Amino acid sequence: MDLSKKRGLIGRQVREWIIESSFFFAAIASILVMVVIFYYLIRESLAAFMEVGVFDLVFGMKWHSAGEIFGMTPIIVGSIMVTLLALLINILVGVPLAVYLSELAGTRSRSILKPAIELLAGVPSIVYGFLGVLILVAYLERSFNMLTGRSILAGSILLGIMFIPALTTICEDALRAVPREFKEGSLALGATQWQTVRHVTLPAASSGIIAAVVLNVGNIIGETMAALLVVGNVARLPSPVFDIFDPSAIFTSVIAGEMGEVPHASLHYHALFAVGFVLLAIVTVLNISADLVRAAIQRRFGGY
Amino acid sequence: MRKIRPAPLASIVVALFLLTSSLVCLVIQPDPIPLVSFWMGGLFLDLVLISASALTLRQDVSPGGRALWTRGRVLPLAADLSYLLAVILLVFFGLVGPGLELEFLGLSAVFTYAIVLPFLVFLASFLAIKDSINLLYGYSSRGREVLVFSMVRLSAVFTLILLGGIISVILFRGIGAISWEFLTQPHFRLGTEGGISTCIQGTFWLVMGAMLISAPLGIGAAIYLNEYSRHSGLKRVVTIAVGCLNGVPSVVYGLFGLAFLVATFGLSLLAGSIILGLMNLPTIILTSQEALKSVPNSLREGSVALGASRWQTVRKVVIPSALPGVLTGLIIGVARAAGETAPIMWTAVTFSATPVQMYYGIVPDVTQPVNNLCYHLLNLIYFLGAWDVEEKAWGTALVLLALVLSINMVAIFVRNHYRKKISW
Repeated sequence: MDLSKKRGLIGRQVREWIIESSFFFAAIASILVMVVIFYYLIRESLAAFMEVGVFDLVFGMKWHSAGEIFGMTPIIVGSIMVTLLALLINILVGVPLAVYLSELAGTRSRSILKPAIELLAGVPSIVYGFLGVLILVAYLERSFNMLTGRSILAGSILLGIMFIPALTTICEDALRAVPREFKEGSLALGATQWQTVRHVTLPAASSGIIAAVVLNVGNIIGETMAALLVVGNVARLPSPVFDIFDPSAIFTSVIAGEMGEVPHASLHYHALFAVGFVLLAIVTVLNISADLVRAAIQRRFGGY
Repeated sequence: MRKIRPAPLASIVVALFLLTSSLVCLVIQPDPIPLVSFWMGGLFLDLVLISASALTLRQDVSPGGRALWTRGRVLPLAADLSYLLAVILLVFFGLVGPGLELEFLGLSAVFTYAIVLPFLVFLASFLAIKDSINLLYGYSSRGREVLVFSMVRLSAVFTLILLGGIISVILFRGIGAISWEFLTQPHFRLGTEGGISTCIQGTFWLVMGAMLISAPLGIGAAIYLNEYSRHSGLKRVVTIAVGCLNGVPSVVYGLFGLAFLVATFGLSLLAGSIILGLMNLPTIILTSQEALKSVPNSLREGSVALGASRWQTVRKVVIPSALPGVLTGLIIGVARAAGETAPIMWTAVTFSATPVQMYYGIVPDVTQPVNNLCYHLLNLIYFLGAWDVEEKAWGTALVLLALVLSINMVAIFVRNHYRKKISW
């Protein structure tokens, strides 16, 4: 009797161990996936880096796939312009919306807006791209007499609008985490509600807001389908560099637009993987730094 | 009781009219702009009203108070008023008139009268509103608050209009294409005829496969991180990895699938499911973790105190309590997998009209490529100029949007329903 009880105990321990280790495997799976993604992207892009040279490939001034000339500068410049302009639109709407939700909205308008934002976040990017082609691009073409409405401007408007929900959600969480006492103290001193938001709530939530913006840079730079359809996908520098009405190309649109047609294991194929690798590296650095920024600001200023 | 100043109030009303009408013109762009004389009259009225109320405001200030007209207030006001005057003069002397075509700095856009004039008026009316509100409140901090908060409210209105606009445009344009045949027949002649049945099937099986992979892995990882892990170091590394994985662009998943899975399994349902599953992993881990965190520790302690092992506690106490949150995460994962295009473009889909082959009527043939709603829509967009597919494209977009949004609505409903019900 004693023995069987003991065996039951051992059996239970073994079962517990098996279950725990399978959960452990599930937990480290995401690390494994990340490593494997990096491994495959490096492996496939290595040939391009070897053949063209790291510096020429990343900073070469021309991307001309038919002539087998691969330099990423036009793509990098296009990406930077689209991302910055999109981010501007994104912040101009997204942050006020977060302020509205956390500070001004009553229960009723909140109960309408919150689900609306979540639904908006769920709209597939290909649908945004479809509307972008048929409505936004056509509108720009008509109103600015452009040769083609597919341009940096179209791409940034679309991407900026697409990621408003992502920014708002994180910003709102950050604003809500600011303790009530802070706001009440400010209001008790006679500050108006706007002065409180401006000088107390926003600074206190700044770590969360900055982290949200950095994360959103990653979102915008990594968005594929909508950008592919409206940005024009012409990998050359805009003719005056600030010409936002010129078509351009960004990392994702080059990959998605050209990968379908390249022969397997050609130089072009490897060069596209190299573009993907640069993109992945940028986004990963952004993600890690968003995390670090949040931690660092919190430690120094006690933000929320 | 504060004295109400009629002049700034009137100028706000006029400027609001100008603002909305110029915005409408900016969007619609009617060929002869209908309201030019009205706009000019309105701007002139605003100019007079604002100057008048600025001059009378001087008398309101009590002696001994702070100086009302500091440089920081006079200069912007003067600049705004001269801008208004400049717009009026430009139009009056015909410098901004029909036939205007501005090209400058080598920009590849032409700024015509139809866009320049509404824009100038829009800006002018915005400045007029800003100054009028400031004057109405006598440059107090309350005035600034009203100004800023009304713009903040506009952002909320903008969001609602955006969602409403997207849904209604797609609904009105797409509803014509929807019919029983459209939903139950495959497409033919490059999508110009027929329906989207193969796409719906393909989307269904891809999502199923993706969830089969991401649900156990994701929930398992969340349980380990929240219930088992004792090393805070490992937990930190996994959290960072999940964050990075969450940020990996969808097109990079596509590249990864192309290099890794297509080489092994070929262009197939299996490869697409694995890629979508991996892409969904971080979403499910994060939402499940959130749900597990919200289960109070007293429940776990109670269970352990009764002699339950860790697994028994997790299975009998923690998971049932966290189930609504976990379920919400899974449903959102389904919606995300159904709406993604880039990861499966080169790994799982073709523009084929052959239905998914089934074994025993329930198991799909995972070694074959399938068609997918998103990919079908992408192809139709590419065909837009060449073939008459626009109606079919709107229909496909409607089906896709309805599918994804209704799944999302279910998720929101589940969460709200249980949030009300459960109280610790």
